[in-house]
Amino acid sequence: MSLLCFLSKYVNILLSPLLLFIDYLISIWFYLDYFNRITLNYIMSFETAATNGNDKPERKYYDRTKSDDLQISRTDMNMLIMNYLVTEGFKEAALKFQQEAGLQEPALCSSLDERIMIREAVQGGRISEAIAMVNALHPELLDNDRYLYFHLQQLQLLELIRAGRAEEALAFASATLAEAGANDRNALTELERSLALLAFPDPHASPFADLLLPSHSQKIASELNAAILKMENQEYTNPKLCSLLRMILWSQSELDKHNVKYPKMTDLANATIEQPK
Amino acid sequence: MQHFTIFMDIESSRSYIDELYSIEDMKILDALIALKNSVIGSNRQKSSVIQQGIVPRLLQLMSENHWDPNIRLEATITVGSLAKGTPENVTALVEQGAAVTIVDLLREVPIGTKLAEACLCALRSIFLNPPAPISSVPAEMILLTRFTQIAKEGSPTSRACVVRILSIWCGGPIEQEALCAAGACSAVATLLAPKGVTAPPIARVLPALDLLAAMCFENANVSQVALNTRYGDKTIPELLTLLVSRDKPLPVAMGAARCLTFIHRAGALTADDNRVVFGALPCLARLCTKDMPEDIRATAAETLAYLAEVDTSLQRLAAISNHLMSSLADIVTCPSAAAKQGAFKCFASLGANDEDIRKRIIETHGLMVHVVNGMNNPEPSVRLAAVRCLHSLSRSVQQLRTTFQDHAVWRPLMQLLNDAPGTELLTVGSSTLCNLLLEFSPAKEPMLDQGAVEMLCSLTKRPEAALRLNGIWALMNMAFQAEQKVKQRILCCLGTEQMFRLLGDGDTRVIMKTLGLLRNLLSTRQHIDAIMGEYSSQVMQAVIVVLEGSYPAEVKEQALCILGNIGDGEKAKDLIMANEDVLRKLVDYLAHPESKLQEAALFVAGNLVWRGEAGCAARQARLADLGVLRALKLLRQRQDAAHLHDKVKTALAQFNEFT
Repeated sequence: MSLLCFLSKYVNILLSPLLLFIDYLISIWFYLDYFNRITLNYIMSFETAATNGNDKPERKYYDRTKSDDLQISRTDMNMLIMNYLVTEGFKEAALKFQQEAGLQEPALCSSLDERIMIREAVQGGRISEAIAMVNALHPELLDNDRYLYFHLQQLQLLELIRAGRAEEALAFASATLAEAGANDRNALTELERSLALLAFPDPHASPFADLLLPSHSQKIASELNAAILKMENQEYTNPKLCSLLRMILWSQSELDKHNVKYPKMTDLANATIEQPK
Repeated sequence: MQHFTIFMDIESSRSYIDELYSIEDMKILDALIALKNSVIGSNRQKSSVIQQGIVPRLLQLMSENHWDPNIRLEATITVGSLAKGTPENVTALVEQGAAVTIVDLLREVPIGTKLAEACLCALRSIFLNPPAPISSVPAEMILLTRFTQIAKEGSPTSRACVVRILSIWCGGPIEQEALCAAGACSAVATLLAPKGVTAPPIARVLPALDLLAAMCFENANVSQVALNTRYGDKTIPELLTLLVSRDKPLPVAMGAARCLTFIHRAGALTADDNRVVFGALPCLARLCTKDMPEDIRATAAETLAYLAEVDTSLQRLAAISNHLMSSLADIVTCPSAAAKQGAFKCFASLGANDEDIRKRIIETHGLMVHVVNGMNNPEPSVRLAAVRCLHSLSRSVQQLRTTFQDHAVWRPLMQLLNDAPGTELLTVGSSTLCNLLLEFSPAKEPMLDQGAVEMLCSLTKRPEAALRLNGIWALMNMAFQAEQKVKQRILCCLGTEQMFRLLGDGDTRVIMKTLGLLRNLLSTRQHIDAIMGEYSSQVMQAVIVVLEGSYPAEVKEQALCILGNIGDGEKAKDLIMANEDVLRKLVDYLAHPESKLQEAALFVAGNLVWRGEAGCAARQARLADLGVLRALKLLRQRQDAAHLHDKVKTALAQFNEFT
C-alpha cells in the first residue's frame, strides 16, 4: 500500500513540472504564431493603400481567452518537448513522456546514457572521470577542441580552489593549464581570472566568484554535451526550443527597431506578456 | 586523493609507461588507458612520451595478432592522439614506422570493426600534417580496392577518414589511374548522393569532393569515367549540379564547382554543356561576391581563372556574370596573397582573347595601379599572377598606346625579368615584353637602357623552346623601324654566331622569327648599307644556308625577302650581284611551283633590275646573261601566276633597253 502511495507521489512530482512545462510551451507557441501575424501585417501595411470597411477588424492584441483559427498541432508540441528532453539528457523523463504522450519510438541517440553520466560527472566536480568517459566515447573530441579541454581543466582548477588547496592549484595550473594559455589568448584571460581567485581570502566574495557557481559548471557541461552531439553529426546540438526562444527575441528586437507597438514578452522564463501602452 | 591523478608531469608518466611492458594483460590495458587520457589534449605530454621512446611498443601492441582486441584498440587510439600533436610529433611517428604499420593493419582488419575505424582516424591525422607520407600507401590494386570498399560500406567516420586520406594521397596520374581502376569514382558517387530529401552531411561530402577533384585534375580518362558513373539514377555531374546551388554550405558549393571545372578542362564536358554554363560558372561568380569570406573568394577566383582560361565563350559569359568585374576588383585589394593571386589570374583569363573584355578590365577603377603593385609584391606567386594579367592586357593594341604608357608598366616588368626569375615567370614576362616592344610603343628607348637587349639575347640561349622563341620574337619587334644604333646594338649583342645557331634551331618558329629579325634589321636604305658593310659575309651565308637547306616553304620565303631587302640597298646590291650562286638560285625560284616563293623571287629580281639606280645597266646585262630575263618572260606566260603579272610587267619594263 505504502509502495503505491510512494509511487503515486513519484509520478506526481514527475508529472506536474511536465504539465507546467507543456502549458508554458503552448503559450509560447500561440504567442509566436501571433507574432508572425503582426510582423506580416506590419509589412503588408506598406503595400496596401486603404482598407475598405468590408475587412474583418484586426485583433489589436492577443487575447488568450478567445478561441481562434490558430492551429497548433499537438504532435508538433510533443516532438519539441521530446527533443528538449533527449538533447539535455533527461532520459527517464523522456521515456515516461513517450509513454504518456503515446509517441512512437523517439530518435534516442545511442549516446544518451553516456551523455547523462558525463554531464552528471562534470556538474558533480568529478572532472577527470568525465574526461576519461569522453575519451572512451569519442577519443578525437578533446584533441580536436582544445578550448573545450581547457575549460574542463579549468573546472578541475576551480575544484581545487574551492576546496582551499591553493598550492596544489598553482602547481596544477602551471603543469597543465599553462600550455593552453600559451596558445590561445582567450584561454589565457580565463586562466588569469581563475587564478585571481587565489588572491582573495574568500574566493566566493571576489569579483570572479561567478566562476565558482554551479551555473558555470552547468555551462561547461552543456558545451561538452553539444560537442558530443556535433561529433555524432547531429544537426541540432541545442534543443530546438532554444531556437524558438531566440526567434522570439529576434522578432521583438526587429519590431522595436521599426517602432511598432505590440504585446511584448518581457519575461521569457514565465512567458509574461505585457500589453502595449 | 583523486585530484592527484590529474597531475600528469613527466615523472609520474614514467610509471605507467613501464607498466606497458608488464606480463599481465589487464595491467597493460590500464596503463594504455591512463597513457591515452594523459596525452589527449596536451601537446606537451605527447612530445614527452614520444621522447621517452614509447612509439615502437605502441606499434607492437597494435599490430601483433595475439594481443587482446581492447589492447590493440587502445594502442591505436593512443597513436591517433599522438598524431594530433605538433608537426614534430607526427614526423617522429612517421619516422618510426607508424604510417606503414597502420596501412599493414588495414589490409587485414575486418571493415566494420572499431579497430579499423581507429586505424583510419589515426592515418587521417598523420596525413593531414604536411608533407603526408605518400609512400606508406603503395598503389596496389588489392589495397586500394579495400579502401574503396571501406568508402562505400564502412561506418560514417571510417568513410570520411578514408576518403580524406585518399584525397591527400592522390597526387599524380599514377595515383589517379590506380584509384579509378579500384572503383573510387563509384565510391565518391555514393558519398555525394543526398540522403532522401536532405543534403548529404558536410563532413562526408567535403573530403569526397576533394578526392574527385584530385582524381579528375588534367586526366581525361578519369574524367570520362566520372562522367558516366552513376549512383541510383544520377550521374556524378548531376550530383555535382545539385551541390552547387545556393542553399548548400559555401565550402560544399565551392568544392562541387571545382570538380565540374576540372572535369570540363580535362575534356569530358564541353564548354557549352549546361552543367558548366549554368552550374559551375554562375556558382563561381557568386562565390566571388563581396559578402563571401575571403578564403572562399580567393579559391573561387582561381578556379574561375582555370575554367575560363581557354574558351572565349566562357570568358564572355563570365565577364557579364553577377558583377564579376567589380567583385574581382575588390578581391585584388584583399590583404592575403591567395586572394590577390586568384584575382589577377582571373583577370588574365577573362582578358585573354576578347578586346571588349580587356577594355572593361582596364577601365576597372585603379586596376593598373594594382597590377604594378602586384609586380612588386613580396610573394612570388602574386608577382607571377600580376605578370600574367599584364600579358593578357598587352594583347590589346590600344592599351599599348595609351594606358601602359601612363603607368610605365615596363619598369617593374624589366626589373622582374632581370632578377633571376623562375622559368614560368620568364616565359610569361618575355611574352609580355614582346608585346610591349611593338612599334607603336614609345617605351622602347627606356627599356634599352634597362638592359633589355642583353636580357633578350640571353633568353635565346635557353634550353626551353618557348623562351628562345620569346627572346628572338622580342628582338624582332624591337628591330622593327628602329633607329640604327638600336639595330647595331642588337646585332652586336646577339652576335652572328648565335644567329646561325638559331637558324638551325629545332623549332621552326624560332627560325622564322630569326629571319624576321634579319629582315627588320635590313630595312631602310642607310641601315642596309651600314649593316651589310660590316656583316655582309655572315648575312649572305645565312641566306644561302636557308635557301639550300631543307626548310619549309615559308622559311625560304623569308630568306628571299631578306635578299630582296638587301637588293634595295645602294651598295648592298653589289653583294648579291657578286654572288653567282645566289643569282642562279634566284632563277630557279622564279620558276618554282610554290607561288609565294615565286613572288618573293620576283621581289628580289625587281629590286635588282630597278632602272633608277646607278649601275643598273650592268646589272641588267648580268642578270639577262644568267637567264633572269628569260625566266621573267616565262613567268608572264604562266596562267597560274596571273596575280603576279603586274609585277612581272614592271620588272620586264626595266629591261626595256634590251628587248
